[in-house]
Amino acid sequence: MDDILVVDRLTKKFGNFTAVDGISFRVGKGEIVGLLGPNGAGKTTTIFMLLDLITPTSGDIEVFSLRYDTHHEEILQNLNYSSTDVEMVPRLTVWENLCIMAKLYQMPNAEEKVKQTITRFGVTEFITKKHEQLSQGQKTRVYLCKAFLNDPKLLLLDEPTASLDPDVAALIRKEILKANNDGMTILVTSHNMAEVEEICDRVLFINHGKIIAEDTPEELAKKVRQVRVNFMMKDGQKRTMHFANKSGFPAHADGRFVTISVDEGDIAFLLAGLAELGVEYREISIDKPTLEDYFIKMTYRGGV
Amino acid sequence: MNWTRISAIVQKFWYSTQRDIFRIFDIFVWPAIELFIWGIFSVFISKNALDGVNLVTILLGGVVLWTFFTRASKDISLAMIDELWSRNFINLFSTPLRISEYVMGTVIVGCIKLLMSMMFMFFLAYVLYGFQISSMGFYIIPSAIGLTLFGWTLSIFVQSCFLRYGHTVEVFIWAIAALVQPFSCIFYPLTALPGWAQVIARLLPTTYIFENMRLVMMGKGVNKEEMLVACGLNVLYLILSLMFLSRSFELARRKGNLVKNY
Repeated sequence: MDDILVVDRLTKKFGNFTAVDGISFRVGKGEIVGLLGPNGAGKTTTIFMLLDLITPTSGDIEVFSLRYDTHHEEILQNLNYSSTDVEMVPRLTVWENLCIMAKLYQMPNAEEKVKQTITRFGVTEFITKKHEQLSQGQKTRVYLCKAFLNDPKLLLLDEPTASLDPDVAALIRKEILKANNDGMTILVTSHNMAEVEEICDRVLFINHGKIIAEDTPEELAKKVRQVRVNFMMKDGQKRTMHFANKSGFPAHADGRFVTISVDEGDIAFLLAGLAELGVEYREISIDKPTLEDYFIKMTYRGGV
Repeated sequence: MNWTRISAIVQKFWYSTQRDIFRIFDIFVWPAIELFIWGIFSVFISKNALDGVNLVTILLGGVVLWTFFTRASKDISLAMIDELWSRNFINLFSTPLRISEYVMGTVIVGCIKLLMSMMFMFFLAYVLYGFQISSMGFYIIPSAIGLTLFGWTLSIFVQSCFLRYGHTVEVFIWAIAALVQPFSCIFYPLTALPGWAQVIARLLPTTYIFENMRLVMMGKGVNKEEMLVACGLNVLYLILSLMFLSRSFELARRKGNLVKNY
């Protein structure tokens, strides 16, 4: 697979603070790669370095096999970015802001391109509104319009569906996947793990400025060995809780429902133990670990 | 009235004043500048005859020309600071846009705004005070160009400082014209300044422009050598300010200032 983006030992220090600590990764043509990590992990600094808005302390970035020091314009002409954390000119209308951005990307027939894009992202209804009058959800859609204006070969998306209603978020995910099917390469940050699982081919997990895991969402989730076993009790709820506590399994009871967290390998032990105690249950289900479980484990509990 | 809450407000201002050295401008620098300018002007008119030239004409001529400078000195810095405040800088500079292209764009807008504003000002000065632009003759053209160029130079300098040091130097957007004003000899001649101030004044192109404005108004003609000095200083300072901007932009990218919340 051709690499669209190659990052090699990228480091950024602000004084004594190391925001990004020697990360290396590649993004192949047509991939959707998720950049995950808690707040302050170094994701946004990495994205700003990829946009050449922050100069790295050391390390190399190659985009489309080109380097910023020699091909700044060529790279940015084929790259775009969207984030909920930046603004457009507050006093300009959505149409005016987008037309300006299209001109900055030297799009031939800029107005036509803006029209196509606003239709695609359902922005037409508030095109005459000033940017400062938009809700956060509307702004997010406008940023996505801006991000697709130049048909970028590489798209950097920072929280693309933050603040969006579920139906609009679904529409955006659909558009992202459609663009990807058309050959666009995408690097995305998100706190919505279900979204990452849905759209990303691969995930880079970053914490304290370092990449600590890299795999498909499914494989990362599998690294969390704990599963949740849910029972709808018929008889023996107290015995169940007692057995779980005695065995060291975290358990939680809510009415007739009991949830016990166990390692995958201990499921048989748990069920056999409950059977021995004569516990009866009407329903049983097992929740497999998700990417969110992995995220929480890695972020707040210091590892898998 | 609750004195605890009132004292909290006083305390808030005390803390912010301590952390922002430039708030000191409000307390000490502005009063000092006002006193300096009008003190020298008063001494000058009490000691000197004006060779029959109407004092109002000289004052209005100074005010009108000075407007070229003050407007230009804010144009670029205000445009750029607006982008930084609204975090639109990230949008702009994540496109192929170059900083030189951005500056050129703001300069063009500045020219248009300046022309419109000056036409309005000349009209007002004529209607209200009978001030005729013809009292300066063709001198209005080189003087306006010179003052505008120096205004842009300082505007670029201030913006460069903003990129380097952040919003604590924001006060200079408003202050830079006022800081230059006492030494620019707008309302009094160079010789009216104390010796130390004359040294500073001779380094400013504005001084030569206003000295020659008075000569023209007195019907004495332009001192070409002085205008050449003004032109040379203007070009030198403009080149230096552009170099400073370029370096500051690179430094801002290293420090992450382009993407900061202001």
